[in-house]
Amino acid sequence: MMIEDKILLTARYAEGDLNELEQAEFEQRLQHDTELKQHLTDYNHIHESLKMQLAAKEDEELFRATLGGLNKEYFVQEPKIVAFKPYLKWLSAVAAVLVIGLLLWAPWNVNLYEQYAGNNQMLVAERGAAQETNLDKAAAFYNEKKYDEAKGILAELNSKEPSNVMVSYYYAQTLIETNSLAKAREILQNIFNGESVFKYDAAYAIAMSYLKENQKVDCKFWLQKIPSGTTNYKKATDLIQKL
Amino acid sequence: MSKSVHLDQRYLIGLVNNDAQIINEIYKKCAGKVKSFITFNNGSTNDAEDIFQEALVDVYHQAKFKNLQLTCPFEPFLLLVCKRKWLNQLKKKSTIQVTNSEDDLLHIGEDTFEQAEELEKQKEQSVMFLNAFEKLGERCKEIIRWSMQGEAQEKVAEALGVTYGYLRKKKSECMASLVKMVSVNN
Repeated sequence: MMIEDKILLTARYAEGDLNELEQAEFEQRLQHDTELKQHLTDYNHIHESLKMQLAAKEDEELFRATLGGLNKEYFVQEPKIVAFKPYLKWLSAVAAVLVIGLLLWAPWNVNLYEQYAGNNQMLVAERGAAQETNLDKAAAFYNEKKYDEAKGILAELNSKEPSNVMVSYYYAQTLIETNSLAKAREILQNIFNGESVFKYDAAYAIAMSYLKENQKVDCKFWLQKIPSGTTNYKKATDLIQKL
Repeated sequence: MSKSVHLDQRYLIGLVNNDAQIINEIYKKCAGKVKSFITFNNGSTNDAEDIFQEALVDVYHQAKFKNLQLTCPFEPFLLLVCKRKWLNQLKKKSTIQVTNSEDDLLHIGEDTFEQAEELEKQKEQSVMFLNAFEKLGERCKEIIRWSMQGEAQEKVAEALGVTYGYLRKKKSECMASLVKMVSVNN
């Protein structure tokens, strides 16, 4: 028997196309014909595999639906973590340094000082004398913001006339402007302890000396000593707000 | 085939019966591992999802139509199937070097390798058989397709408007041509 016939025979046997006699004969031959046996195994294998591909898909659709539901649960897309690129790290470090630097430098506080302590004019009482006094000279320097020159003259006047509160006050102001803050505060403290018209101006000046150092707490402390109705009251309350 | 069927055969039965509880158990055990393997090897979560589903469908097919008998534990078997699928896909895409997966496969038994390989072979063959089927004449294709739907063959004959006897004869001939085509290809 040719191979082709065996294949067809196997197919007919598997599909139930053999009559009873042929079927019995085929099964008889299967006992010893290994080739035929192999054909039958192959046939079943091919038939099953093909059925796998061609069979009704209803069950499979249901099965896939189950998988689809579980996929959503178990294969959640994790949000992408965007790695900081190295240069970005450096950039942020640089930015941080700039911010810290800015906080230390605090230009807006300097501005506050300029705003609240600046344009201080030294007003010398009018006098009839035509001759310019040292006090006039000091006032001129002071109003031109030449504080070093003004300080020299005022220091001299102050030592000659320590009880002149006006001289002491403007001398202290020049000390603040030239950054001799501790000495300025000592003088101003004395003025504040007294009962002159410069009492609350002194308090304000002390507050300004602390503002210049950005010592906000001390600055506030002195500003709060300024009572309403005095010249600097409005400026003081404004500044307290800003601090 | 004297090897005894593994207790994990229950997973295959669960798949065939679309048993949501057992399938959920499979996901709980294996989905995370497949996801880490694939995302670690140049794949996305979506790739992992696709591979995992494909592997389960393959196992489902084999269990349902080819009476797949599991002789090894299910989990390493499924993981190995997924790994092989992904490695094949990478191979097709390009020559990306895959993180060596041999180390963690060392403790996997021979059986598992054999079964995973067999599953892959069966899948390939079924595709080959389908291709051969597509080359048959229209009438043959119609008869075979109808007879594969799982209905009683008498009903199929009725639907096709032929006698049951004719259906058996014709189907035998068509299948014989297909088998010959396949053996020539082999």
